[in-house]
Parts: sequence; C-alpha cells; structure tokens
Amino acid sequence: MTPNIDPIIHIDEELCTGCRRCAAVCPVDAIIGEAGTPQRIDAHRCVVCGQCVQTCAAYAAESDPSLTSRAEKLRQRGQLSSVREPLFAAYSTGHAIELKEALADPKRYKVVQCAPVIRVSLAEEFGLPLGTLTPGKMAAALRLLNFDRVYDTNFGADVTIMEEGSELIGRVMSGERLPMFTSCCPAWVKHAETAAPHVLDHLSSCKSPMQMVGALVKTYSAELDGIAPADILSVAVMPCTCKKFEAGREEMNVDGLREVDMVITTRELAQLIKDKGIDFINLPDEPFDSPLGKYSGAGTIFGATGGVMEAAIRTGYELVTHESIPNLQLDFIRGDEGIRTATVQIGDLELKVAMVAGLKYVSSILEQVAGGTCPYHFIEVMACPEGCVSGGGQPKLLLETQRKSAYQARKSSIYRHDSNQKVRKSHENPAIIKLYKDFLGEPLGHTSHHLLHTKFFSRKVKGELK
Amino acid sequence: MKKERPNSFVIAEAGKCIGCKACELACFAVHNRDNGVAAAVGTVTTPVIPRLYVIRTDSFTMPVQCRHCENAPCAGVCPVQAIQQEEGAITIDEDRCIGCKACAMACPFGAISLYKAYSSGQEHKQPHLRERLDGHLERKTRVIAYKCDLCHDIVSDGNTASGEIAAAGRVTDISKGDMTVGPVPACVSVCPEQALTLVSPSLGASRSRKAAGLRL
Ligand code: SF4
Ligand code: SF4
Ligand code: SF4
Ligand code: SF4
Repeated sequence: MTPNIDPIIHIDEELCTGCRRCAAVCPVDAIIGEAGTPQRIDAHRCVVCGQCVQTCAAYAAESDPSLTSRAEKLRQRGQLSSVREPLFAAYSTGHAIELKEALADPKRYKVVQCAPVIRVSLAEEFGLPLGTLTPGKMAAALRLLNFDRVYDTNFGADVTIMEEGSELIGRVMSGERLPMFTSCCPAWVKHAETAAPHVLDHLSSCKSPMQMVGALVKTYSAELDGIAPADILSVAVMPCTCKKFEAGREEMNVDGLREVDMVITTRELAQLIKDKGIDFINLPDEPFDSPLGKYSGAGTIFGATGGVMEAAIRTGYELVTHESIPNLQLDFIRGDEGIRTATVQIGDLELKVAMVAGLKYVSSILEQVAGGTCPYHFIEVMACPEGCVSGGGQPKLLLETQRKSAYQARKSSIYRHDSNQKVRKSHENPAIIKLYKDFLGEPLGHTSHHLLHTKFFSRKVKGELK
Repeated sequence: MKKERPNSFVIAEAGKCIGCKACELACFAVHNRDNGVAAAVGTVTTPVIPRLYVIRTDSFTMPVQCRHCENAPCAGVCPVQAIQQEEGAITIDEDRCIGCKACAMACPFGAISLYKAYSSGQEHKQPHLRERLDGHLERKTRVIAYKCDLCHDIVSDGNTASGEIAAAGRVTDISKGDMTVGPVPACVSVCPEQALTLVSPSLGASRSRKAAGLRL
C-alpha cells in the first residue's frame, strides 16, 4: 500500500441536504458550506475522526431516479457490491474490496489484528443487542475469511503501556517535557500536528498499539513463524476511520515494509462476513492465536475514554512503588465526554492526570501548555466523544436517541471483559514478559526505539481549501 | 368514560426544519423491526421506506405526513376497508391493502405512497400474480400503500417501556394550554431541531383561537 493520499472522509454532493448536523459534531470546524447546499470538507483541518459519518442521516432514496446508481456509488466508495444498507451523504472510503481480493491470494501470509472495541460492537451489525461481547465469534469469523493468523491490538495496547509507562516515569523523574500526552489516537495526533505543533514535543513518542502490532507482526512473529516479512499482509480491523490515515503515514514502516498494509472498520468487517455468507450469530467461539493474541484486561480497556490512563496507572504504580496496586478498578478515571482530572498517589509522587474525550475539549489544555501553566503530568486525549467505543468506523445508529445507550453498553461490555480477565495488568501478561525477554530486551531499549517509537511532524501551513 | 377527542397528528415548523432526514430514517427504523432492522444501519437489508417525507422548495424544507383527518377521504375510497380509525389514528392494514392507489389519489396532502412490501427482509411475493422477468415468469412482488400511523403500536411496546426512544420531542396538548412531554412518535423524538410536534387538539377548540388567547 502506498501512503494514503485519499482524504478518506467524503461528502456525496448528490445526497447532502446541507443540514450541517455534521458541522455541529465536527470537533475542528472542517466542514464548510452554506446551510441548504452540499457541504465540503477541508482536508487539511479534518482529523478523519468520522464523527460526521456517524451523524449524517441523509440517505439515497431508492426511488429517486435522478441519483447515480447504487452500484456505481458503492464502487466509488470502495464498498462491496453485496452491501445492502442505505448509503448516506457523509461516508468514509472503504477497503473491503481490496481486502477481499488480497484474502484470496494463496501466496500471501495473511495476518489480522482487531482493536479492543471491535468485539463489543461487531455483533450490533448482526442485530444482537447493543454492546454484545463476541471476541470468540470474531476470531472464528476472521479465520473463515481466510486469515492465517488472528492477532489482537490489545496485545499492542499492553506493549504501549510498557513503553509509554516507562517513558512517563522517566519524564516525571527528570521533569522534562511535561505534561506528556498520549499518542495512540491518530486523530488527536493529526490535530496536534496541524493546529498545535508547539505541543508535539509533549506527545509520547510511542506509536499506537495498532502500529506496534504491525511492526511486531513483520519482525517478532514473522521470525517465530518462519515467514518472510515481505510475504505478510498485515491487516487491522479498527473502530476508527483515522486509522486508515495513520497506517498510510510514510514513517510507519519497518525496514521499508509497511507495518499495517490495510485497515478496515468494524462496519467493513461485518460487510465482509455477510458477503461470505458466514452465519456470525451461530459461530462457535475460537481463541486468538499466540503470542500476539494474548492480552490483559488493561489492554482491553483502551477502547473507552480513560482506559489508557487506567491501564498506565495499574502498571506505573507497581513499577514505581514495587508494591501491588490496592484497587484495580479506578472508577475516578471512568466517565464520558469532556475533561476529567484526578490526582493519583503513587508512592511519594502525586501524579496529576487529565482525560480529554472529544477533541473539541482539548483547546483549553493546549493553551495552558503554551502558557506554561498546565498542572498535569499525564494527559490522555481521545478525539471521539467517549473514546473508540464511539469511533467513526463503529456501527452507525439509525436512531440518534440510541447513541447514549449504545456507547454506555459498549463501554460496560469492555469493563466487564476486563474484570473477567485473569491477568489485568500489562506487565503481568506472560506473552508480554516473554516478548521483552526474547526480543525487545527492555522498554525504551534499542529494539523498542527502532520498532515502536516514532516522531511527529508539524503540518502547519496556511490552511488552504481544496 | 373516555373523553371524545379528535385524532392527534404531527406537524412540522418549516422555519426550524434543517432537512436532515433523521425523521425519515427513524420512521423507517421503528416500523421495520419485523424486517430485521435493529439499532445499527448494517442490519438494514431493504430500501428505506419512511412514512413521512422531507420536502424541499426554494425557500424552505419540512416533512409532510398524514393529518389523520377526522373524516378521512382515504378511508372513504378504499374498496377493501383497509383504512381504519384505530386508537386516535388513521391506519392502513397492510395485509389487506390491494395497492389500488385510490387512497393516494384521494389524500389532499400527498401523505400516502405506494412501494413494494417486504417481510422478513425479503420482497413479499404474491401467491397468484406473476410477471415476466428476464425471460421467465416470476411471482410479482406485492405493492402496498404506506402512511404515517403515529407509531401507534410502537410507542407503547418498544420505545417508552425500554427507554429506546427518549421522549426528546414535544407533545402539545392544546386542551390544557401547555406543553406536556409524553410518549411521542419516532420522528418527533429524534428531530435534532425539535421542529416536529405531536398536536393533540380537543374537540370544539380552535387552535388559532386558543393560541391567540395564550399569547395575550
Ligand atoms: S453531510 Fe449529511 S449531515 Fe452533513 S450537511 Fe450533508 S446531509 Fe447534513
Ligand atoms: S472526519 Fe471528523 S474532523 Fe473530519 S470533517 Fe468529519 S467530523 Fe470533522
Ligand atoms: S478516539 Fe479512537 S476511534 Fe476516535 S479518532 Fe481516536 S483512535 Fe480513532
Ligand atoms: S392519508 Fe391523507 S386523507 Fe388519509 S387521513 Fe391521512 S391526510 Fe387524511
């Protein structure tokens, strides 16, 4: 895959009614146009979060003869011809057609990873109640789709905690480049690069869990499986439209190979499963493959706002104090849209943290950082309203009135999944311990730096409308 | 004894409507549970057939739907008595409808549309009538009349009880002269601009007279 130059988020002029509801949810004012006329997206500002895609209700009426045919629209959108759902004005470019072709290629070794929140939302596409948890059916479906290895982004979330936690402790001890921001939400990273390059030094240098798994798939696991990295097709299933953009970033490669070759959304995975005629609801549960499919509860909660913070504290606490954390369920961190702050006592250190959910809330913090008055050590930023549970690639709701309950159901499903795990801290995940022992050495070590960390670049130019 | 009152109906304020079609989508969603439609768009396998339509002119947009006429002309012309007065709403018994289009012609508001019928997410085929398609005979899909039924058997079963549809919309009870919030049709509950109102007039009271009084 060449670096992605497609802007990914589009508005179909033929369908847009100019209601501007998308503009109301866009966190960065990237939607331009007069009310009542078709809108356009300023690709420079747009952070590809897909919230506009989630909101838009203007659909192509089958009975309207003036519209381009459905078959042609599906083709333009990169969607499988078997897709039956209505087509809306705001949409994201699909990659399911490309993936379907690649999956039929016997010469490639096909590896997939799934983000923490796919397993709590995928079943909604098959009519099961909001937030139904189906990790086992998902793994089974992916095997039926012809993947050779079914791995998990949750594993990458555990690696992220090891790296980012160590980075945070280092920065807090030295007092350098504080506050430290999380860097796993690509929409937040793009926004920082575009609108606030002055904070780029404050971002954790960690790649996102998806890119970490991608990098490990083409090195660590390729070695274990005896596969040439160039023969591997690395696919990610994400709740997020911006992950398509992230995977295409030029610097996201290991030794010249793309870490993640292709990204599809939750909705696209459901479409592929239906396309193949798989009876998802009645699939027996299957496990993920080892080692990149073994995860802790901490990896799981990345999908909800505050999750990265909670996971980091579970591990950070123990790394610093060498004592077991008294309570694993950090309720004071859980919540929804907006800014939440907390102070966590870790040994002698009073760690001040903030969680931002919904990119529109980040500006006050960015101003504080610019003015040198930001009181926090560690700040989690998630672009979507409640973190990835509400991502732009997640199942789209027919009724606006169900939005809150859908996010709530998906979130409680994630937390339930965490509390049912035997291992709930990243540094206690046996597969993670083995990864460091056999391959990475130590967090922030030489191999980690080469594979798991990155740099960010200012995208600040005079914002031009295309 | 139940107080005699005219049928309620949903009316839109053109000045508020932004033309987003959320009402059309919600209407379709709640009326197609039998066609497998659940919460997610991905569960939809039939065309979206709403029972109200957002219309557009140069100067305004607003949804148009059935007024639930007291002396419903559509019911008067229906040759098979498929159109009935039921619990304060004029409804079409879709199983009975023969697709004759008489109601669509009789309705002064253009509130009735004819479309294919679906059951269990598939086109509903007729037992007897066939048509030639791609060179061979196939059973013809039934076509029926669709119109607003004020979500009359939906609001009570799925929505208020389970909290699926929050009562975000407004119900105007003119007899009380105030705004009361209660169970409302799907379109009213989802409108982001609250452009739709379920109006429940009472017999004898003129809306404008009462409204004029309230403004004093
Ligand atoms: S893209 Fe959709 S939500 Fe945005 S203005 Fe157009 S119709 Fe409305
Ligand atoms: S994808 Fe997100 S940032 Fe881009 S236009 Fe849509 S809502 Fe705005
Ligand atoms: S919060 Fe999650 S889904 Fe939303 S943009 Fe960020 S990574 Fe993507
Ligand atoms: S369909 Fe038309 S004629 Fe029949 S009750 Fe409704 S508005 Fe009146």
